[in-house]
Amino acid sequence: MTRRRWPQVTAGTAALRVVAERGSLAVTLGFYVIVVAVLAGLWRVAVGANGGDIAGYSVVAITWYVVCTEATTVSLNTRLIADLGRDIGSGAIAVELLRPAPVLGVRLAAELGRVLPRLAACGVVGALLAGLTAGAPPRPAALALAVPSLVLAVACNIVAQHAFAGVAFWIRDTGSAWFLYQKLVFILGGMLIPLEALPGWLERVASVLPFRAMSYAPARLAAGNLEPVLLVEQVAWLAVLLWGAGAVFRAGERRLQVLGG
Amino acid sequence: MAIDVRRLTKVFESGRRGARRTVEAVCDLSFAVERGERVAYIGPNGAGKSTSIKILTGILHPTQGEATVLGVVPWTDRRRLAARIGTLFGQRSLLWFELTPRQSYRMLAAIYGLDRQREQARVADLADLLDAGDLFDQPVRSLSLGQRMRCELAACMLHEPEVLFLDEPTIGLDLLAKQRFRELLVRLNVERGTTIFLTSHDVADIEHVALRAIVINHGSVIYDDEVAAMRRALLSTKLVEVGLSAPTALPPIVGVSVLEHSDAAVKLVVDTTATSIRHVLDDLLERLPVADISVVDPPLEQVIAAIYARPKL
Amino acid sequence: MRGLLATFRNALAEVRANRASFLSQVVVMGVNDVVWVLFWVLFFRRVGSVRGWDGESIRLLLAVITCAAGISLGLLANARRVGNMAVDGQLDGVLALPVPPLAHLLLRRVEAVNVGDLAFGFVMFAWAGSPTIQRTLVFIAVVLAAATVMTGFLVLTGSLAFFAGRNEGGELGFHAMLLLGSYPVDIFAGAAKVLLYTAVPAAFVSTVPARLVENFDVGNAFLLVAVAAIFAVAAWAAFTLGLRRYTSGSVWTRP
Repeated sequence: MTRRRWPQVTAGTAALRVVAERGSLAVTLGFYVIVVAVLAGLWRVAVGANGGDIAGYSVVAITWYVVCTEATTVSLNTRLIADLGRDIGSGAIAVELLRPAPVLGVRLAAELGRVLPRLAACGVVGALLAGLTAGAPPRPAALALAVPSLVLAVACNIVAQHAFAGVAFWIRDTGSAWFLYQKLVFILGGMLIPLEALPGWLERVASVLPFRAMSYAPARLAAGNLEPVLLVEQVAWLAVLLWGAGAVFRAGERRLQVLGG
Repeated sequence: MAIDVRRLTKVFESGRRGARRTVEAVCDLSFAVERGERVAYIGPNGAGKSTSIKILTGILHPTQGEATVLGVVPWTDRRRLAARIGTLFGQRSLLWFELTPRQSYRMLAAIYGLDRQREQARVADLADLLDAGDLFDQPVRSLSLGQRMRCELAACMLHEPEVLFLDEPTIGLDLLAKQRFRELLVRLNVERGTTIFLTSHDVADIEHVALRAIVINHGSVIYDDEVAAMRRALLSTKLVEVGLSAPTALPPIVGVSVLEHSDAAVKLVVDTTATSIRHVLDDLLERLPVADISVVDPPLEQVIAAIYARPKL
Repeated sequence: MRGLLATFRNALAEVRANRASFLSQVVVMGVNDVVWVLFWVLFFRRVGSVRGWDGESIRLLLAVITCAAGISLGLLANARRVGNMAVDGQLDGVLALPVPPLAHLLLRRVEAVNVGDLAFGFVMFAWAGSPTIQRTLVFIAVVLAAATVMTGFLVLTGSLAFFAGRNEGGELGFHAMLLLGSYPVDIFAGAAKVLLYTAVPAAFVSTVPARLVENFDVGNAFLLVAVAAIFAVAAWAAFTLGLRRYTSGSVWTRP
């Protein structure tokens, strides 16, 4: 394995394992279907009762919106921060420092590899659900953009979680941190409620935070809004988050070397 | 009769359609144990020991066959039987980890229907017998394994069971703790008449606790006799491993048979009834270029293999 | 009976012995619940009302389900773990004792963090449920019924693991119940709605009980109690039958 191929190999192996574990994939998909049914059901009824439009979203649009936000959420590994925190806290991560590839890079690649098959499965199932219950996507061109946007969204989320968990290099208990983090994404990332439907001041706060890149961006596109600038935003946030996570991990590694892990 | 097993069979199935695997953990197993006996139930890993005990304590249902413990069928009358037997599984605890043993005893006493008076009398009694009085009020998590096992033994004896089933109870204990534990079991049997049925991996358990050994392998009994007889027949061999500094041919020695012979080492089995280790070692040291030498008891697998090779009784 | 009480007392004692990480977990749970309330506040601010449900009635619904979850996941914490325990062979300890296995199992463990939900639910009811003596009594009664439905459902789906060899049914059942129960059933229509009144009784875990507190009527009350009884019996039956197929901790049986 040459230096340059490790990201692909790591991601590929992780992906294969997820696909092989059919049972757990089935549970994930089952959960996804239920969540989408509930949340989309709620919003469709709400939009219908409000004259067919809430904050610019029609019934069809809101269905595609929910399908996307849930895909980005459900496909993630909910134990990531807890596991990372534990590995860092216990010093297990010190072993990985001995490998030729950078610790953060390997972990990111592996996690992405795990998430992408689940995302793909949810995406396909979600598209079917939305198509069958609400109808065709409002703007197929925008939907096409939503596909890379979904990948960018989970990538941003994973990187942010790594940055978040990197706090474990300094503080012991990070388990609770994940809960709080997830709730932030739910509200400020537009997962439970489209950002346009939030009160003005909250919407402004959400617009400067990275969470919109993790959930809102692909959903907004899928809902029929051809706004390619969202992809640019996501790439920009991804870069910022990568830099942040890298900084945290580098500082953490220095600390490990000084303290001995 | 305390335990009566007749042609017990347990088959485990696993795997999905098309790739089903069946494992016969226990196969046509039969034996009987009288009240007051001390029996060691031994066999290598995967022999079916734990499965048999789980069937006899009502945890598992057998596929075929019959068994009764104290006249009760374990898997149909589990609760009635559970009140009369005690179980101690080396890898599963009766005590609650965060609480003190005494708190667990209080709960167990309520479960077994002992009133307060009787409970306190039993706990004091057991504290004496097991020399564990000072341990009962410390949280279990702060006890060493040896201390914990003594408290576990008290827990399973609280309701004065007539039969005690122990599944690898000395696992993980150091030599001294093991010895103490074995002495306690013998005392329980001698003083209270409790039938002891002990599964083990450890040959020393047979030697120091049991009066009778049932050897099980591949799910059925292959040897069932008094330990004294077994000792005479089998615990009279030793394994000698000799590291050679140069390849040498081995001359025949009385009471010695060769297991393996390579250029660098020789493995011998010595029959200590036919000769003495002393003589054998003297011979070897004189005739061979010995670089290294060790004398060990034969491993259990070998003892069993030897038993297995004998003509069936 | 004495034995069961003693078991439960010990479960509570175990929680008290574990006070260390308790506080941070309770904070987390609190934040979780608060965010949930926040979602509904923001939702109804925008939407007004949905099929007869508005901010106030939703708060009552939340009160019911958090209390029910507090009982089912907090006080009877093993309810959701039946499937895992069956697959991992952790039921030996229960079976070695002369106790009714399901009852002992359910009382054997208390999860402190979820008991926090119970407290939150009561506070919620006190704040938003316009509590009168009568409404409070009805609230307590329907919460008990809802908790029975939830516990029964969790044990039932968990018991599937005895037969399947793996616990996917239990996991899915748990998530489904919690998720679907957190929303008023009226947002669904047709087949989905029927499902939520039958196979996955999420309606009886929150919607129906909440409605009963608002407008008590004997018919629905009877229905709720009947459903609770059905699921309790079904759960007990599935578990008892499953025990016959229990394979303990044998390594060979992992599929």
